[in-house]
Amino acid sequence: MANRVLKPWLFIMPALLIYLTVIFFPAIYTFYLSFFSWNGVAPHKDFVGIQNYIDLIMNDSVFLRALKNNLQWTVGSLVFIMGTGLILALMLNKKMKGRVLFRGVFYFPYVLSGIVVALGWAWMYNPTQGFINKVLESLGLDSWTHAWLAEPKTALYAVFVAALWQGVGQPMVLFLAGLQTIPADPYEAAIIDGAKQYQSFWYITLPLLRETFIIVIATTMIASMKVYDIIYGMTGGGPAESTQVLSSWMYYQTFRFANIGSGSAISLFLVLITMIVIIPYVFYTTRKSHL
Amino acid sequence: MEEIRVHPAWSALRYTFLILLAALFLIPVIFIAFTALKSKPELLTSPFYALPKQFQWGNFAKAWDQGNLSMYMRNTVFICLVKVPLGIIIEALAAYALTRLNFKWSNAMFAFFLVGMMIPMQATLVPLNIFLNKTHLVSTYPGIFLVYVGFGIPFGILILRGFFRTIPKEIDEAALIDGCGDMSKFFRIILPLSIPAIATLVIFDFMATWNEFLLAQIFITKDTMKTITTGLMSFRGEHSTDYTLLNAGVLISIIPTLLVYLLFQKYFVSGLAGSVKG
Repeated sequence: MANRVLKPWLFIMPALLIYLTVIFFPAIYTFYLSFFSWNGVAPHKDFVGIQNYIDLIMNDSVFLRALKNNLQWTVGSLVFIMGTGLILALMLNKKMKGRVLFRGVFYFPYVLSGIVVALGWAWMYNPTQGFINKVLESLGLDSWTHAWLAEPKTALYAVFVAALWQGVGQPMVLFLAGLQTIPADPYEAAIIDGAKQYQSFWYITLPLLRETFIIVIATTMIASMKVYDIIYGMTGGGPAESTQVLSSWMYYQTFRFANIGSGSAISLFLVLITMIVIIPYVFYTTRKSHL
Repeated sequence: MEEIRVHPAWSALRYTFLILLAALFLIPVIFIAFTALKSKPELLTSPFYALPKQFQWGNFAKAWDQGNLSMYMRNTVFICLVKVPLGIIIEALAAYALTRLNFKWSNAMFAFFLVGMMIPMQATLVPLNIFLNKTHLVSTYPGIFLVYVGFGIPFGILILRGFFRTIPKEIDEAALIDGCGDMSKFFRIILPLSIPAIATLVIFDFMATWNEFLLAQIFITKDTMKTITTGLMSFRGEHSTDYTLLNAGVLISIIPTLLVYLLFQKYFVSGLAGSVKG
């Protein structure tokens, strides 16, 4: 009997121990550290209550900038990455020549690392030798050229274009999978009833893609809150902190400036925002599966 | 849906759009390849759209040797070869307990693991760093595997538990009659039946490990142990003006990813669609 009670624990033990060590306890300790002022090496930590949080919101213009950038990034991803993914999926959801090839071309950047994409696109944006300025020059549009990644006005958008290139494949594949679950009958019925194509799209395709939309929106929002590699690799948060996001600012505060308390507080903002997205999502999916 | 007639003009328009967009998508790759194959003086003088006069394959050899790319690649391959199977075994054992051992805490435990998916890595880095420093595990393989495996656990359990639940219980009873213990049932029945899910997980895990940057940046400080992502960053630091070498390095580093992607494309697409749905 004791054996039967113990056995599951034995099987779950390795995963549980590692999970507790690597994720659970560290996250709790980070929460604790966010109430202290500490440089990471001094033996003494000063308890400051919620001062770190107040400082971030009241006195840290870079933090607010980062928060704004994350929000812009999220909206941009939902509109452009998800939108392009949906359009491509609709175009590729028919038997046609070269379908697999097209799908492969649009999807392959998604398997590359953010760092590789960052290095490749930084070269595309190179002010003197990069593709983009060279094309503009050869078209006689010299006045349009920019030091894309070095000017605060253009840097974030330039990085976002690289992220768009990397990211459209994921929603495209998810929407394609969703579209394939839609049966042909409603469309046939719609044609008999004399529906126009945009009407069948609006009244049949979109509602039946509801499930896929929820998945894509949730994953897109979470990925947008966590965005880090591509920004760190392309601009390092610069110029003039104009491309900082929460993740990168947390990295700088913690590992470059040794403001452990502030860094911890930033990461807690990340946790909070992620939860705002994930908890409704989990509730929705579990309620669905119990029906 | 094929009964729906598509107007030929519309079809032509669609093709034109797709071809143009695909060309646009390939430009960065082509531009990088052209750069990587030119000599340094040629890069400055020849037009950006011109093919290299003579392919400088030597750039790749140079990046491989002088840029230490061979070392970074070896390190990353090693980490992937250990981390991926190790992580999956650990996750599968847990998923087995959650689905097949009449575990009283099964649902609560599963929910507890799922909480891990809500916690961004950033929220664990400082305590983990303190812990690894105290145990002298920074820049050691046990430390690296601990951290890498740890962050894979919630997702791995989610996928494997989902799949294990679809394996009918009758199989357990048959195994019991045949006198199979839990260990042999796990290794000889459940794991082999789960190959589709495991294959998907292997590919995703390989990609995630190969592309991992933040953890490598913080927990692998020794240059000789760096992975391909952090290695490329230091490569750029050292050869910041040599774009032919840098782009050759970028190309080399994506070859394994592209190979895995092309070989297992099927699993990718079905896996991505299936995994997000849980």
